[in-house]
Amino acid sequence: MISAGLVRGALLGLLAVVLALSLLIVANRFVRRHRERRRERIAAPVRGSLLELLCAEGDEQTELLNRLAEIDRRTWAALEPTLTTLLGKVAGGARAALVRLYELRGAAVDAVTELSSRSAARRGRAAQVLGQLSHRPAAPSLCRLLADRDPEVRLAATRALGRCGGPEAVPYLLESLYGPRAVPPAAVIRALVSLGPQAQRSVAAGLEHPQPLARAVAIEVLGATGVVSHTSEIARALREDPQIEVRVKAARALGRLCMPEGLEPLLAAVRPGRPVALRMVGAGALGTLGAVAATGPLAELLGDPDRHVAATAARALLQLGPEGRAELHAAADDRSRGPAAAQARAVLAESAVGAARHDVRAEVAL
Amino acid sequence: MAHVLIADDDADIRDLVAFKLTQSGHQVTAVEDGMAALRAARENTVDLALLDIRMPGMSGLDVCRELRAMAQTATLPVIMITARSQEADVEVGFAAGADDYIIKPFSPRELSSRVTAVLNRVER
Repeated sequence: MISAGLVRGALLGLLAVVLALSLLIVANRFVRRHRERRRERIAAPVRGSLLELLCAEGDEQTELLNRLAEIDRRTWAALEPTLTTLLGKVAGGARAALVRLYELRGAAVDAVTELSSRSAARRGRAAQVLGQLSHRPAAPSLCRLLADRDPEVRLAATRALGRCGGPEAVPYLLESLYGPRAVPPAAVIRALVSLGPQAQRSVAAGLEHPQPLARAVAIEVLGATGVVSHTSEIARALREDPQIEVRVKAARALGRLCMPEGLEPLLAAVRPGRPVALRMVGAGALGTLGAVAATGPLAELLGDPDRHVAATAARALLQLGPEGRAELHAAADDRSRGPAAAQARAVLAESAVGAARHDVRAEVAL
Repeated sequence: MAHVLIADDDADIRDLVAFKLTQSGHQVTAVEDGMAALRAARENTVDLALLDIRMPGMSGLDVCRELRAMAQTATLPVIMITARSQEADVEVGFAAGADDYIIKPFSPRELSSRVTAVLNRVER
């Protein structure tokens, strides 16, 4: 039997731990707030000049730039978080002025040095600054940072590479998808999309990557950026890739690319016997593709034993315009078609409600 | 000169917008949340409201709906501020009764021009 003294001791111990933790949280908040206020106090004398710079024009801007570029290190360090935040939130002349200020201050060079800092927060902020400044020479250092021990730093480096990287960053970004220090695929995709047309060839090389996730990401990026010149390779991936996730991405990309070469592989992908996920995405992609030739095969799918495939096919028919709508009406009126008629009626009703809601929204906006 | 109400929880953006509009000759009331924005709109004669869509607690959309529901502010011109990644908010903003919107990142000059344009439209 447990003695009362032991229970009391345990409770007191627990209470002490809770108290200590609460004190720690309060102290942490206090220190943070104190630091923030101190930073604001130090930056306050030049904050007005910074706002003036962002709203100034011509010669006035030059004078303010020179004045701000000469502030002491302590004030600059206090002002920098504000500069970094504003860099991502202003455009036009204001952004150009901020970039020029960083250049005059040599801050890009400092940020490259900071990428090797022992503090994860500093490494992350440096990566963010370099990305915001589109500082291309920092790309190799940022590529190395993709394997940083801190996940936030890895994410910051990925975003930064999307802004300042080039084709040479693509293999590093694809490699970053693997291992114990992996970067989330969504972040890698956004970065690769941001690299734009200059990186298309390098991204397309990812279609031959030995790892399925890299192939899937490459396909998604090519589809999202509308790289029609690689339609045949994506169609081949849909037909031949051994991994279902890659084939699903290929189906979606073919729909987005809207090229005629996408039609045949997509029609093959929706045939019975293929994996359900692939058939669903394939049916949706046929709607996005917008080929009238897909109307018949999609109408057949309305009666598919898998209701998800049937519902996707019904929505895809709607996307095909008058021809698709006519097929839906025909199916809805044909009572002998059972589930197919029900699917058609459901999607037509859904579309009618959607149109009515859109009308109401337009009226409110007007 | 118009009296412009700015509601944004981001102090840097709030100060920048307030600075630009003051520089353009407007009187500015800047607040950091939706509740304070509603209070300021009730207690002052405001000519235009610039509302950040995403604010903790009461969002810019909620403030806009409330403004439209009050007789005193039912016709107050409202400009929404939203981030590029939240462009879907624009449609909802118009449905809530906004007159215009500005997408971040924005140029202070563009913002000032938009404010002037909306104010001119209302005067006519």
